[in-house]
Amino acid sequence: MTMKLWKQIVLTISSVAILSLGFTQVSVAGVIDTQQLIDAENRSAAIDRIEATLLRDDVAAQLIEFGVDPDEVLARVQHMTTAELLSLDGQISEQTAGASALGIIGAVFLILLILELVGVTDVFKSI
Amino acid sequence: MLSKRRLSILGIVAILSGCATLPDGSANLDRSSAPVEIAAAPFFPQQQFQCGPAALATILVHSGASTSASDLGPQVYIPGRQGSLQPELLAATRAADRIPYVIDTSVSAIYAELAANRPVLVLQNLGISQLPRWHYAVVVGVDPNHDKVYLRSGTDRRREMKLKTFLRTWQRGDFWAFVALQPGELPTQPELTRFAEAVAAVEASGHDQAARSSWQAAARRWPEHPVVLFGLANNELSAKNYQQAEFHYRRILATRPDNLLAANNLALALAYQARHAEALQQINRVLANAAADDPLRPEYLQTRQEIRDMPKKPSHDEEPAEAS
Repeated sequence: MTMKLWKQIVLTISSVAILSLGFTQVSVAGVIDTQQLIDAENRSAAIDRIEATLLRDDVAAQLIEFGVDPDEVLARVQHMTTAELLSLDGQISEQTAGASALGIIGAVFLILLILELVGVTDVFKSI
Repeated sequence: MLSKRRLSILGIVAILSGCATLPDGSANLDRSSAPVEIAAAPFFPQQQFQCGPAALATILVHSGASTSASDLGPQVYIPGRQGSLQPELLAATRAADRIPYVIDTSVSAIYAELAANRPVLVLQNLGISQLPRWHYAVVVGVDPNHDKVYLRSGTDRRREMKLKTFLRTWQRGDFWAFVALQPGELPTQPELTRFAEAVAAVEASGHDQAARSSWQAAARRWPEHPVVLFGLANNELSAKNYQQAEFHYRRILATRPDNLLAANNLALALAYQARHAEALQQINRVLANAAADDPLRPEYLQTRQEIRDMPKKPSHDEEPAEAS
């Protein structure tokens, strides 16, 4: 058998395999579903909010006082899973909303605790 | 497992946040509003512990679905736990071709839904936090002038509760409440992301037609919103309306050219129309713009592989016939 014929056979077999796959999954493989888009939107919105909080002058100054570089925290935040990010975002907004009476130092302290809990920083190793 | 240290940190957070108050469920309810009651809401007296199927049947049948508490029992009742789980109530709602939408945590949200002729399924804790007695019921009426709430509950066709009492029991159920929307219906106070997630979940469970009507309704309410357009486009894509899908993906990209998710799906929509070169060009652009650590990069690569593997002729639409 010639090389050309072999190629023909292999091509036919593989395209039959693709066709049968395509028959059942024609619009599933490779398609990004709507929930994935929503997750991505939620993720970038959460990052934006966390960034806005961490980069506030008063918060950033306080973080630095605690020995934490806000930029470094941000870099680590980018690598958190979406679930972790949403949990962090939710906790920051919940805790800081309730912490207004504690003032900015209290709020930053809470943020640090939360960052510690989700493994972004380890300021409190000694606790 | 949390380490001891982490637990102690959690404890500190809990103490420090003690001043944060729970949302007040009665907030925003206008006491001078007229009473509202859905007298026609059906009633399924609960059998033994089966308040879940009974409550669910009430809202589903009222929304026009043909089902009953005994039909729903096997879907949502867990005999071993003598109860039903919240996710299963939502799943059974989807199975009935309805869109479960969890409403805001306030009586005013319940009131608004009742005024739109949708009874509201609520989770109550009739016991105390330490000794919970979970119960599902359906709010069918609210009388703001007299601080009364009316429910289809257990074996009572019309249980009257003081608003304050209801709020306490509902608060202990975390103010959880949802309505069953018909396909194409919007809730009275729709929140875009929550609604989109609800519709996407209905679609993921195989109810493409119901989802289609709801995406269209969403598009009327939030025209040109990328999430809605994406939902619409994906729905068209799975219905094999590739041109329509392409149209909607392009609308997203017109305002958000950096939306790689839409660009990825556009590549597929083109490929399915046998526009192979355009599709490859499109997905290559996606890959060139995706960051090295983009979590969706494997999907983009898969898309490119899929497009490469597609035979250039005949067009994709004709393939299934040949395969059978």
